[in-house]
Amino acid sequence: MNDIFIDVDYSQIYKAGQKIGGDVFLQSRDSRSNQIVCTLSDGLGSGVKANVLANITAHMAHKLSFSPMNLTHSARIIMNTLPVCNQRKISYSTFTIADIRYSSLDDIEVQLVEYDNPLALHFRGAEQLDWERERIDLQRAGAFKQEVVQHSKFRLAENDRLIMFTDGVTQSGMGKTLPLGWRSTGVRSFIAQTIAANPAISSHDLAQAITRKAFSLDGLASRDDITCAVVYVRRPRRTLIVTGPPFTPDRDQALGDRIKNFSGRKIVSGGTTALIVARLAGKKVKVDLSSWSKDVPPSSTMDGVDLITEGMLTLSKVATGLERKAPVTSLPQDAVRKFITILMDSDQVEFVVGTKINEAHQDPSIPVEIGIRRTIISRIRSALEKNYLKETSIEYI
Amino acid sequence: MRKQRIKVRICVGTACFVQGGADLLLYGDFLDPELLGECDIEGTSCLGGCKAESRDRKAPFVEINGTLHANVTPALLVELLREVAHA
Ligand code: FES
Repeated sequence: MNDIFIDVDYSQIYKAGQKIGGDVFLQSRDSRSNQIVCTLSDGLGSGVKANVLANITAHMAHKLSFSPMNLTHSARIIMNTLPVCNQRKISYSTFTIADIRYSSLDDIEVQLVEYDNPLALHFRGAEQLDWERERIDLQRAGAFKQEVVQHSKFRLAENDRLIMFTDGVTQSGMGKTLPLGWRSTGVRSFIAQTIAANPAISSHDLAQAITRKAFSLDGLASRDDITCAVVYVRRPRRTLIVTGPPFTPDRDQALGDRIKNFSGRKIVSGGTTALIVARLAGKKVKVDLSSWSKDVPPSSTMDGVDLITEGMLTLSKVATGLERKAPVTSLPQDAVRKFITILMDSDQVEFVVGTKINEAHQDPSIPVEIGIRRTIISRIRSALEKNYLKETSIEYI
Repeated sequence: MRKQRIKVRICVGTACFVQGGADLLLYGDFLDPELLGECDIEGTSCLGGCKAESRDRKAPFVEINGTLHANVTPALLVELLREVAHA
């Protein structure tokens, strides 16, 4: 699995009274070529017309970025296609395109093209970094002012963030709480403080913190669409799930080592499996009787493992919860909720499934049980991949 | 002489849990506080009882001071603990 994770998300609040946004954010990933393209476009005005314009712009930018054409040339094509407003003689929409290509954590290159949006920001941890931008003047027929597209190229490293937003953010509060609005300086210091207080904040949470702040500066009635997108580079958060005893006892040790050497969170699901793991580690399993559920047995704790649960009942409830995309906060306080919470906080989930056909060769129910375990695990994997875009892997032991 | 505390281990394994073990975990609701005060109660994974089930020894299983009891209901648990406490 990749040693790099690029977390991209955005948050948007529409102009008060509008049911559709005039700002459009698009992102796509091509995992084969390790490329991510993000476009943020702000259509003139708000509502349906603005939405259509912003969509046209964002989609064009997007398509062109995946073509071999250079980005400045693409920008020119977009500019020439975009109509110019008859009355105001300005372009119908703005855009920011971030074309990110990477091969590893030490090699991430961004090409940025910015036209008329507030300038994007680059943070390393809580510190803001500056970089050179090249200004390209475009002369268009019918445009009354000179139009400038800014192009730049720079590298992102681990813990870096690229933050893009529309003028709904920088102009929030204008004439209300702040005479000149929040402005880029205000946004910058807010971001620095937010990251300092929570260095691992996800792109989703940071983008939301920024749009909510802008919304509150606007007195909870936004004067424009407020949109912010964040790209965050970090190591993937990994989780290992071990379920079922190994095929033969001589593989127990390998299982124990797999758990011990894993860097990330660890879940053991199944009573017998937990006992094997505890014996190898020389630790005690303690059942947590503090919460009760009629559906699943209580979870247990053990040093060195983040969560121990019962096997079948718990796994099948986890599968159902993920398939239904049930929000974690709506789940009862039980082992399933703990399980799903850890999964939601992970980018990569590795399953190690034991295949022991045990004590009772005679017992006809056992092979069925192994089949059930496999089925449930594959349900969990496909829900994680399809509904939550997580990476998963599986190995049998 | 101070009385020995009663060691109670309730099985929370799959077989026991689905066959009534879940109810036993609500012991805080059905054991009277005085009796509860004399017990050290913990949950445990499969006690092995379910692997050797017979017609009259079925899940859920509870171990009290080292003795394995089958077919335990809340009422039976109260009864068993009273017996041990008053022995
Ligand atoms: S599950 Fe309780 S004895 Fe096996």
